[in-house]
Amino acid sequence: MEQLIFNGLTMGCIYALIAFGFILIYNAVGAVNFAQGDLVMVGSYLGILGISYWGLGLLSTMLLVIVGSAAYGYVFQRLAYYPLRDKPTITVVISCLGAGIFMKNGMQVIAGPEPLTMRGFFEQETIQLATLQVPTQSAVIIVLTILLFAIQYWFFFGTALGRRLRATANDKYAARLTGIRVRRMIALAFVISCLLAGIAGFILVPIFLASPSMGFGLVVKAWIGVVIGGFGSVPGAIVGGLIVGLLETFAASYISSAYKDVITMLVLLAVLFLRPQGIFSEAIQEKV
Amino acid sequence: MNRNMNRALIGLSLAVALLLPFTLASGYHLRLANLVGIYLLLVLGLNFVLGYTGLLSFAQVGFFAIGAYTSAILTTDYGFGFWVGLCAAAGAAGLASVIIGEPVLKLRGHYFVFATFVLGEIARLVAMNWDDVTHGASGLSGIPAPTIGGFSFDTDLSFYYIVLAFVLAGIFVSARIEKSKIGRALFAIRESEIAAEAMGIRTRQAKQLAFTLSAVFAGVAGALYGPLNTVISPDVFSFDVSVIVLVSLLLGGTGTIPGAIIGTILITLLPEWLRFLNEYYMMIYGAGIVLLMGFLPKGMMGVLENIRLGKAKKRARPRLDPPGETRRTDRQPGA
Repeated sequence: MEQLIFNGLTMGCIYALIAFGFILIYNAVGAVNFAQGDLVMVGSYLGILGISYWGLGLLSTMLLVIVGSAAYGYVFQRLAYYPLRDKPTITVVISCLGAGIFMKNGMQVIAGPEPLTMRGFFEQETIQLATLQVPTQSAVIIVLTILLFAIQYWFFFGTALGRRLRATANDKYAARLTGIRVRRMIALAFVISCLLAGIAGFILVPIFLASPSMGFGLVVKAWIGVVIGGFGSVPGAIVGGLIVGLLETFAASYISSAYKDVITMLVLLAVLFLRPQGIFSEAIQEKV
Repeated sequence: MNRNMNRALIGLSLAVALLLPFTLASGYHLRLANLVGIYLLLVLGLNFVLGYTGLLSFAQVGFFAIGAYTSAILTTDYGFGFWVGLCAAAGAAGLASVIIGEPVLKLRGHYFVFATFVLGEIARLVAMNWDDVTHGASGLSGIPAPTIGGFSFDTDLSFYYIVLAFVLAGIFVSARIEKSKIGRALFAIRESEIAAEAMGIRTRQAKQLAFTLSAVFAGVAGALYGPLNTVISPDVFSFDVSVIVLVSLLLGGTGTIPGAIIGTILITLLPEWLRFLNEYYMMIYGAGIVLLMGFLPKGMMGVLENIRLGKAKKRARPRLDPPGETRRTDRQPGA
């Protein structure tokens, strides 16, 4: 039971990180980023590149993932979003979808389709926590996620730059009127989103096989988390991600592992039909 | 384009479609032509929802799967003929669209996109896991070819004409609806749902009709896909199918029937022409989607229109937004 909760929370943390990045882009440009999962995949491969191919240490690989993902995020927004910024949102959505296909198949050409993995970050496999045997990697993921969210909280609520980002997400015209460089803020939102996706991808590799097509399943779960939590809401994305992680772990062990994805999706449909505004209600009427 | 020229073009296309099998050298190309026909039915179906009504739906693959499985199960496990299977496939897909349309069509914007996407995935997962009925991952095999009065359409050549008949019927239905009161109601919803409602259009019913039409088209496409391939398995009905259908429509030009035809033919044949790209093809395909959105928002039909209008007249035409969400303001809910 405790073990299940831990496994669920671990995946939940990953989904929450992806969902948070997803929400950042959504709030910045109003488009659903279909490539978010593929950005996670790029992070995983950067991690594998650092640790398995270049033989770097843990911290330098983390640095590689952070810098690489951030740069990647900038290029991504420059190519897939920026040229379409004045077009209807639907074109950005489809463009991101295309960019995701490009990344997935590009990685397949570079690294081959075979799933890759790496050993855990630390030698010790489990740590004793009172009466509980906790897998070290799960602990790493949970602690890092909490840390990342704490940093994000500080960044968004404690710094001037974060306030400018929030202002941009809230109302672009008003933000521009007050002298905020809106385009740069949007680029920054993409970079942070990509960075979180990259880190999520990296810390995920030891417990999840990395393959060029891994992103799809992950992003679907993250979306479900986003919808359950409430579209556009940041606490909603975190809580929603955790709920999805727990839900799928419990569904797999108590109901059927074959149907665990069906069950999470049915829960999503139930939320959409019964309470489409999610847990942290946001206004959902269509913007006209 | 005047009426006579239009008619001449339609007649010419029809002649080409009828005589095409005799110009194709190999059975492989014939199969490809059949596949174009089946995809075209899916694209024409999506055109009702995305092209006319402006709703981005990823449910098309789900209805395709429902159609394919319904007819395959009836024809293999229960020994019914192809035509019974086909009618059941269209009926099952249509019925499914009515049942799920009730809650799904209430959703707007991204919620609708998500819900349709999830429905498509659920269809695939159920096909994968419901072993007793769908035979799980191994799928169903030995799906029989259609027969009429003892003549079996079991070759690619004869099957081509079955597919062609359905494609022509699909085009005819689309063209009639486009010109009808219902079609104009759908266009009105695409431009502004609120305004359409204020004009007295029953938007719920109109959207449901478009959704059901798309499902029936996809169901028929599914029933045709089974006999063409003789085998179906869950991995055929992945998200990629929805993407191919969407990109075909976008490449051709959303909301136009010739656009749907041109787009489908191009997207099905491109992998053949670009065979030299090998494993790079899918990469280029992804990048192509990004470029398509940037440079050809109205697809090939937009290009043709620009050529026809000529550069001099181009400035006089007001540019319409591609169908889809109304142009948004920058205002966001929440932070």
